Amino acid sequence: MLAALVLAALLILSRREPATDYLPAERLSVETEKPQVCVHTLLENEVEEQAILRSLELARELGASTIVQFFPWAYVEREPGRYSWSLADRIVRHAQMQGLRVIARLGLVPDWARDRKTKALNHLTEDLFPAFAAYAAAFAERYAGPVDHLIVWNEPNLSFEWGYQPADPARYVRLLEASYGPIKRANPQAKVLAGALAPTLEPRGSAAGLNELDFLQEMYDLGASEFFDALAIHSYGFREPPEAEPAPDQLNFRRSELQRAIMLAAGDGHKRVYITESGWNDHPRWTQAVRPSQRANYTLRAFEYVERHWDWLEHLCVWALRYPADVYSYPDNFTLVSADFAPKPIYYALQDYARGWARSETPWLPPPQADA
Amino acid sequence: MKRRLQVTRALTVALPLLFLVAASLRHYQPLDPAVAFPAGEIVIGVDASFPPFAFDEGGESRGLDIDLGIALAREIGLSARFVSISFNGLYDSLIAGKVDLLISALRVEPARRDDVRYSQPYYNNGLVLVSEASASLEPEALAGAPIAYEYASSADSQIRAWERAGMRIEKRPYELPAYALDALRFGQAEGALVDATSYRLYAKTQSDWRANVSFVTHDPYVIAARLDPSDAWKLVDSALSALKASGELARIVETWL
Repeated sequence: MLAALVLAALLILSRREPATDYLPAERLSVETEKPQVCVHTLLENEVEEQAILRSLELARELGASTIVQFFPWAYVEREPGRYSWSLADRIVRHAQMQGLRVIARLGLVPDWARDRKTKALNHLTEDLFPAFAAYAAAFAERYAGPVDHLIVWNEPNLSFEWGYQPADPARYVRLLEASYGPIKRANPQAKVLAGALAPTLEPRGSAAGLNELDFLQEMYDLGASEFFDALAIHSYGFREPPEAEPAPDQLNFRRSELQRAIMLAAGDGHKRVYITESGWNDHPRWTQAVRPSQRANYTLRAFEYVERHWDWLEHLCVWALRYPADVYSYPDNFTLVSADFAPKPIYYALQDYARGWARSETPWLPPPQADA
Repeated sequence: MKRRLQVTRALTVALPLLFLVAASLRHYQPLDPAVAFPAGEIVIGVDASFPPFAFDEGGESRGLDIDLGIALAREIGLSARFVSISFNGLYDSLIAGKVDLLISALRVEPARRDDVRYSQPYYNNGLVLVSEASASLEPEALAGAPIAYEYASSADSQIRAWERAGMRIEKRPYELPAYALDALRFGQAEGALVDATSYRLYAKTQSDWRANVSFVTHDPYVIAARLDPSDAWKLVDSALSALKASGELARIVETWL
């Protein structure tokens, strides 16, 4: 009997998260003058705990009050009904200790739940919507408090993010409906964020997806308003400055205003908006990129613009703080910090803004004149 | 007796060596362009949206990488044919065998070494510290000097790294690398830190201006070939060596930069 008890105790202890030396001794706090500053982190593929810690330290030191972090369903529920929370626990615990709020992005279909025929990465058939909802609810319950904002899926208006199926607002609304109740019952304080639609000009019938304006309008037409508390928007600047006028046939930063107009027309003006992905890119080989100086300047001007004009916006989150490794292509030039943790100049510029440190009106000197 | 022993010892060492040399010669075959490039031409993938390395002019690809591809093929004894591919599709085309080589201002990507073999560098686009010809400025002597650079660029990162190392620099950020070089030329900075291509393009427009240039970082551009057939890579690398030795590569770079 005693041996059995000892064995049981050992088994329980062995299943606990191992003690860590990486957690700070006490909970830290973010010093910021601009609480709307937020960054998207990519910690789900970090192997080393130290990399998670250092990334989140850099987010805190930046002056970001909040991070957006992906918590892949496929990583947590590898077998139906068996959740493995160790990685998510680690990320949430470190974020808490750095004083960071977490907006969780939920998605990525586990192998067992993927459509048997297509096996496509994000192809979830409707009969398994309750399985996703159960994961979302379990997540909401486990992290209630530290994580009270949950984004249901990512960019469902793109075929690639929708299991290579045609973009289908009605199915996305049914996924929202399936998830909303379970999440709210698990954590009544939770805010369910819908959308996170990709900015795109794809017309109806396109194999690649559907533009986010038509997609959102159709969501409202189908009664989606009941099934979310706030809207997540992806707002990239591409080659245009942040103040450029929005238009349905233009991709630019202020295109978000067109989604906001759809919300207002649908009577959803009381709901807050979270821009959970944003930024400019300065890769020399990408046709949608700008110069490094423009990237930093546009990013700061975007924050200043939303501060002055968008009182409906809760957070503006920059994609992305850092990648775990270089991909040797244009995505590397969306980051604020290199893969080896070296902050780029844009990081320091954003830090100056967020922390309220001195910042000149223009970050550079005027073009030199020969006779100056 | 002693002499016989010495001869025996010498033969003991020499015979196996001779055998090894003979065996390797038996298997040695000179590199054969017909084996490496069985189509009788070298098909080169290029992203023609990156002037002056490659760009489209009237439906025809032109630029430094194009001229380099032509010269390499000529050195190997074949003709070159160029296929225009978007930057993100270059490696897929190479690995799928649609092209033989990529010459497209590429940097070495360590993660691709399982599929791809890179040539020696043909161009260095690292950061250069530029100073007036009359006042040579080395990185070690920067302390207190006004240095011009592009705001938020890799030059900005380098200057911050120098500062972290304890160097005191009077920073002069500008919106564009050309403005940083203007500041140097107009006497408003003692040095300008820019990438080599920006410097070369600027210097071409200022024919009467002389400057000292020293590399601070290295950013080599290379040619990519598939691992198999290995002859292709060997032929390209030795042809590149020949172009360097003859001065042809330098002439091509001078033409465009």
